[in-house]
Amino acid sequence: MKKFLLSVITILVVSNVLFAQSNKEPWTSQQLLDPAILAKKITNNQTKNMLIICIGPDAIIKNSVDVGATQSASNVAKLKAQLKNVSKDKEVVIYCGCCPFDRCPNVRPAFKTLNEMGFKNAKLLNLPNNIKTNWIDKGYPMNDE
Amino acid sequence: MKHFFSLLFILFFAFQLKAQEPKIQVGQYAPEIALPKPDGTILKLSSLKGKLVLIDFWASWCAPCIKEQPALKAMYDKHAKDVQENRFEILGVSLDKSKENWLSAIQRFNINWPQISDLKFWRSKVAADYAIEGLPYNIIIDATGKIIAINLHDKELADFISNQLL
Repeated sequence: MKKFLLSVITILVVSNVLFAQSNKEPWTSQQLLDPAILAKKITNNQTKNMLIICIGPDAIIKNSVDVGATQSASNVAKLKAQLKNVSKDKEVVIYCGCCPFDRCPNVRPAFKTLNEMGFKNAKLLNLPNNIKTNWIDKGYPMNDE
Repeated sequence: MKHFFSLLFILFFAFQLKAQEPKIQVGQYAPEIALPKPDGTILKLSSLKGKLVLIDFWASWCAPCIKEQPALKAMYDKHAKDVQENRFEILGVSLDKSKENWLSAIQRFNINWPQISDLKFWRSKVAADYAIEGLPYNIIIDATGKIIAINLHDKELADFISNQLL
């Protein structure tokens, strides 16, 4: 019985480690920012200490700046330039919203760049579906057209 | 009094069900689309009446849409005779924001079916009219403009179009 239990535990631990490795993302779950929290901060004018950067198709979120889709190396360079003189302690929030994270070509190169540049308070806006359903349809604040 | 509350209850649920009805359904007529082509002239969906039309909602920023373009191209080439005989057409409706990116994608995939866009991203009127929640998305309409299929992809889409053109 003891042997059986030990085998089960070993299998569970190993499969857990393998699963974690196969799902390795450059961000942690703590670095995913809830859109409702960001929307509230924007509405309450509490974004002075944060930098919101669109790394996807359009900087639709209010107060955000656009660097373009970071699947292209030239836009990764633009992101680096945008962050060049920014304090490493500043809260930097990036978002794309083109499609679900598993299909998005932009979030990974952008977040890796933030990590490589040493940003300690980097966040990825949690738009699990897209910017339409997770931001626009909820009536959250947007940049003027 | 009891009957009154029962009636109220039924009405409440009837309204709930009505509210949950999808905006776009098979069997209804497709809402009109009138948007600029790359050259700026307006193309209307209604001008394609008489043909089987695949309305492909896409964007150059949408990775799965881009992945799908070669298959659409193959389908368009396969049914080139039907296109020539005014029996079939694909209408690409882009939710792009950047004209440069839109045109570059059209060129890259050598897309030769009509393309239109107001370059308004998710603020485009078509996104609301067709209740689009994500891309890629498509609608197939018959010669009368009636919706006959919604959001088919890959083999299912190719087979459906082939069967319709038999």
